[in-house]
Amino acid sequence: MARQFSVKRLPGFSTIAMICFIGLYMPIVTLVVYAFNAGTSIAVWEGFSLRWFYSAWNNTQVVDASIRSLQIAFCAAIVATVVATMAAIATTRTAQYRGLTFKYAFINLPLLVPEIVTAVALLIFFSQIKVYTGYSGLGYLIAAHAAFCIPFAYLPIRARLESMDLTLERAAADLYATPFQAFRYVTLPLLWPGILAGMILGFVISLDDVVITEFVKSGGQDTLPTYMLGQLRRVVTPEMNAISTVFLLLSFAIVTIFFFLSRNEKTS
Amino acid sequence: MQNIVKDFGHFRAVNDVTLKIASNEFFTLLGPSGCGKTTLLRMIAGFEMPTKGSILLDGAGIASLPPNQRPINTVFQNYALFPHMTVADNIGFGLKMLGRPKAEIEKTVADMIRLVRLDGREKNLVTQLSGGQQQRVALARALAPQPKVLLLDEPLSALDLKLRKSMQIELKRLQMETGITFVFVTHDQEEALTMSDRIAVMSEGQVRQIGSPWEIYDRPAERFVADFIGETNFLTAEVVSVSGDRARVRLASGAEIPASFPANTTPSGKVTVVVRPEHARAAPVSGASVLRGTIHDIVYLGTDTHLHVVLEDGTPFMVRQQNARSGPCGYDKGETLGIELSDDVAQILRD
Ligand SMILES: Nc1ncnc2c1ncn2[C@@H]1O[C@H](COP(=O)(O)OP(=O)(O)O)[C@@H](O)[C@H]1O
Ligand SMILES: [Mg+2]
Repeated sequence: MARQFSVKRLPGFSTIAMICFIGLYMPIVTLVVYAFNAGTSIAVWEGFSLRWFYSAWNNTQVVDASIRSLQIAFCAAIVATVVATMAAIATTRTAQYRGLTFKYAFINLPLLVPEIVTAVALLIFFSQIKVYTGYSGLGYLIAAHAAFCIPFAYLPIRARLESMDLTLERAAADLYATPFQAFRYVTLPLLWPGILAGMILGFVISLDDVVITEFVKSGGQDTLPTYMLGQLRRVVTPEMNAISTVFLLLSFAIVTIFFFLSRNEKTS
Repeated sequence: MQNIVKDFGHFRAVNDVTLKIASNEFFTLLGPSGCGKTTLLRMIAGFEMPTKGSILLDGAGIASLPPNQRPINTVFQNYALFPHMTVADNIGFGLKMLGRPKAEIEKTVADMIRLVRLDGREKNLVTQLSGGQQQRVALARALAPQPKVLLLDEPLSALDLKLRKSMQIELKRLQMETGITFVFVTHDQEEALTMSDRIAVMSEGQVRQIGSPWEIYDRPAERFVADFIGETNFLTAEVVSVSGDRARVRLASGAEIPASFPANTTPSGKVTVVVRPEHARAAPVSGASVLRGTIHDIVYLGTDTHLHVVLEDGTPFMVRQQNARSGPCGYDKGETLGIELSDDVAQILRD
């Protein structure tokens, strides 16, 4: 009997896979390990300590930047999700027409535009608005982040809408639901996992943006990533590692929560 | 429904259909897959607009109303139950959308649960139910708002044979008890014959014949209907005379027999006559034989035996005999025998 083909039996497969995994995760592991270094070096181990976590916690600049990052990510994710949900419904719940494919492309185009181009464009655009309105708050950063989060939020929502059984909405209409009621009682509850996925994706993407933030931010509007970038130009202490580790845990936590939420959805 | 036409691009899915369905009727659309049954149903429900023609309900045109404004409910082929709701919420959905008071909804839902025999399942999510139970939730959900018309699109096709049989009886019972007009779609002729008050046989977007089950079966108007429903024998014959609603035709064997013909036609010249296999009897050749042939094959089916006979002029002819006694049928292959027909069983087809 012929043995079933398994890529595992190809010579060198395991070795290459191991190298890839080490290449991917070794730096992260190192980073996390040195967050607990008692010394001031990020390369020489001097014993275990939590001092850099305390130090980051007491660094008001770090705390301010973190809060700002979370504020921006939270607002941007919500704005992006609302817009993306509307866009996804508009592009899936319609008869095929000329130009629909073009619209898909149009919505996803920001994924392809080099970030630096978007950043410069936004910088110029916003600076003009600033001149006219005199407003220079976080609104610009939120708007910018929302803009580049939309395609990320759009993709899972659209995927969910496309996999949804259209006859459910028909059944609702058949049972006297107005289009709005059908959306409210049938489409939306079934769309939740997609919306949540879109929102979390948007949140995470916004949280670690550097390029656009660096260009758009006004003075004193550092987010955590731009603050860290600024620090790297000076001395690098394991405080950076500690911040990054917390950041990493936060991302893990979000993804895990989402995973369990969506799993419950499936089993119930 | 008057002169309904539906085009998808250049494709004509429904072609000039005119139907009049009485209230309280169990009306079936029967036809092979792809003949336009679902499309017709979707136009009644309001999911498609007819390209031409009008749909009237109690005399009022409804063809341009959206589905949520038509007092018509549908049992979907895949049930389309709301997976995030309980059985009770599914059944009460229509009434909730109609803005009925809570107490009324609860009472109707309880009645419906009893009607479709799902007692004790109210709080289950519909995804926890078996196929047959889901089917009944779908029925209850569509019946709860007491629509004027209930549309059913092959609702039994996903069930296994035994469940299907019991659901057929159940559906008929529900229709009698509620007095709601049912428009039922199926490609299963047996299902159609068992349940319907009247059947419309469709093919290629057109209605071929409308009639009661026995009319459709015993008095098919054309070859498609005769062929699609049950098994049948086609014989060529020549019309000798016509009087009233009966004609006399001469078969190839020379025998003359009476035959019915479709209304609004006057048969003449060469025609095709159909005879159902169970309306013929095999017997030794005698004066009563209207046809003669040799046995080509004998198929034993338990309840029946099928004798496949080749007539003198080469036409195949099948006789179905009920196995009233035990043991083999008593004929052999190659044997010559005569065929006798019961009274008034031949039907002339429209060309
Ligand atoms: N939305 C549609 N677009 C194009 N063609 C369709 C559409 N719906 C149905 N048809 C075509 O119309 C014909 C009749 O379909 P349908 O009414 O579903 O048949 P049935 O229910 O009798 O099997 C089929 O040939 C089908 O391919
Ligand atoms: Mg169909």
